[in-house]
Amino acid sequence: MARDARPRTASEVLDLFEQGRVTPAEAFALFRSIDKGQDPEFSKAAPVSNHLGVARPKTKEKAEDDEAARRQRLREVEAELNALIGLDSVKELVKEVQAFVEIQQRRMAQHLVSEPLVLHMIFKGNPGTGKTTVARIFGRMFREMGVLSKGHLIECERADVVGEYIGHTAQKTRNQINQAMGGILFIDEAYALARGGEKDFGKEAIDTLVKAMEDHKDEFILILAGYQDEMEGFLQTNPGLQSRFPIHIPFPDYSAAELLHIAHHMLRERQYRLSAAARERLKMILEQKSTRRDPNAGNARMVRNMIERAIRRQAVRLVKKRRSSREELMVIEEADLEEVTAG
Amino acid sequence: MKQCIIIGKTNVGKSLFAIQFAAFLGVKELVITAKDSFGTVTRSTYSVDQALRELVSDGAHHTRKLQSITVDLPVGKGVKRFEMVDTSGLIEGIPADAGIRSSMAQTLAAVREAQLVLHMVDASRATERGAVEAFGEVDYQVARFALMRGGYLILANKMDLPRAREGLERIRREFTGHPIAPISALNREGFREVKRFVWRWI
Repeated sequence: MARDARPRTASEVLDLFEQGRVTPAEAFALFRSIDKGQDPEFSKAAPVSNHLGVARPKTKEKAEDDEAARRQRLREVEAELNALIGLDSVKELVKEVQAFVEIQQRRMAQHLVSEPLVLHMIFKGNPGTGKTTVARIFGRMFREMGVLSKGHLIECERADVVGEYIGHTAQKTRNQINQAMGGILFIDEAYALARGGEKDFGKEAIDTLVKAMEDHKDEFILILAGYQDEMEGFLQTNPGLQSRFPIHIPFPDYSAAELLHIAHHMLRERQYRLSAAARERLKMILEQKSTRRDPNAGNARMVRNMIERAIRRQAVRLVKKRRSSREELMVIEEADLEEVTAG
Repeated sequence: MKQCIIIGKTNVGKSLFAIQFAAFLGVKELVITAKDSFGTVTRSTYSVDQALRELVSDGAHHTRKLQSITVDLPVGKGVKRFEMVDTSGLIEGIPADAGIRSSMAQTLAAVREAQLVLHMVDASRATERGAVEAFGEVDYQVARFALMRGGYLILANKMDLPRAREGLERIRREFTGHPIAPISALNREGFREVKRFVWRWI
C-alpha cells in the first residue's frame, strides 16, 4: 500500500476510516497526535500497520514553501504601498504598525509578555486622500502576516449601519460586522454616527460596534474614517472610543505637485498623455485650487474625475473627424481640459 | 447542551446501559433522537420497556446510529440538562461493511465533541484472550485519547456474570490511573457511582 501523508485534521482521519484504511484504534491514536501535534504512538501490543506512513519531510518542505509564498505576497503588498504617490507620513505609520505586529508575534513565539494586538484604527483626512486604498492594503498585509484570516474590506457608511426603527440598528450593524469577520470593517464618514443628538439611532450603532470590538477583537479590525476636524470632534464626544483606537493615521492633502504626478500616472496607465500646453494648463488649475483653498484641492479623486472627463472630451473631439492618427488618439489637448474646468 | 457519550466495543452493553441509566435518573419517557451518518434525524418516544425491547439485542452491531437521550439531572434547586449519546460499537479491525464503517466514523467524530466519555468494557470477558468482546488495542487507545480530555470514566459492565470479578481485577491492572466503576447495566447496579461522576462533569 502506498504510504500516505499523515492526516492533519480530524476530518481527514474520519475520511481514512470511512475508506477502510485505518482501524478504530489507529483513528484514536491519530486524533491524539493531531490534538498534541505529535506523531502517533502505539502501545507495545499494537501491530503498527504499514500504511500509517509518516511523511514528515514532505510536510515540512510544504510548510517552508507556504512560508516563502507568504513572504513573497507580503513583499508584493509592501511594493504596492511604496508605489503609492506621496503619503510619506502614512507609509511610515503603516510600516510602524507592521513592525509592531511582527515583533509581537516573535515575542509570543518566545513566550515573552506581548501586547494584545488591538489594531482598530482611525483614519483622518479629506476625501480622496487615499484612505480606502490604504485600508485595502492593510487588509492584505494583515492576512499575509496571519493577523486576519481573510483580509477583505467591507466598506460602509452611516446608512448601512443605522436602522429606521428601534432594534433595527443593532441588527444592521451586526450584519455588517458579521460580513467583515476575518477582514476589515471600514466605516467612511464615521462622525455621522454621532450626528442627530442623544435620541439618534447612531448612538446605538456606536454601542454595538464597541461591543463587537471587545467580543471579536481577534477576528476583525474596525477602521473609522472621516474628515480630520469632524473625526476629532466625534472622538471627543465619545470618550470611550478614543482609548479603543490605538492607531490614528492622519492623511494629509496631496500637494499640487503630487496631484500632477498622480494625473500623469493615471494617464500613462490608460495609454494617454498630455500635450505640453495641456500639462501647463493642468498644473495651473491644480495650483490655483490649492492657493484658493478649494475644498477639493488635494483630492486625488477629483483629479481622476478630471482625467476621465478629459478623456471623454477628447473622444467627442476626435469622433467628428473621419480618421485619426495613433498620435492623436493618445494626446489630451489643452482644449479637452478646459472644458472640464468650466464644467 | 453538554454531551455524555458512551463508547466501547460491540456487544458490551452500551445501549442497555443508556436506557437503564436514563431510567435510573428518573426519565420515564425516553425521547430518543437518532442521527444516521447522512445527517438524517429521527425522533421517537419510547417507554423504558419498549426501548429495552427494541433497542437492545444480543447480537453485535445492533446500534447503527448515534442515539441520544436528553436527561435532566437535578442539581441543587434546578436541573442540569445533558444529552446522553449511545454509539455504535467499535471493533479491533477494519469493518468490511461500508455502512458499519460510516456509523463507526460517526462515533469517532462524536467522541471528539463530547465533554464526558463513558468507556464501557465487558468485565466478564476481560480475562479471555481473543474474544471479540475482550478489551484490546481500541480500548487502550480510547483510554489514552480520553485522558487528554475532560471527563473520562471506565465502566466495567456485566458484573452480574460469573467471571466478572477476575475480569475487573485485570481491568484495574491494565487501566491503572483511570477511574473505573464496576456496574451491571442489567440490574442497575453501581449506577450511583456513575451518577455522582456524571453530576461532577456536566
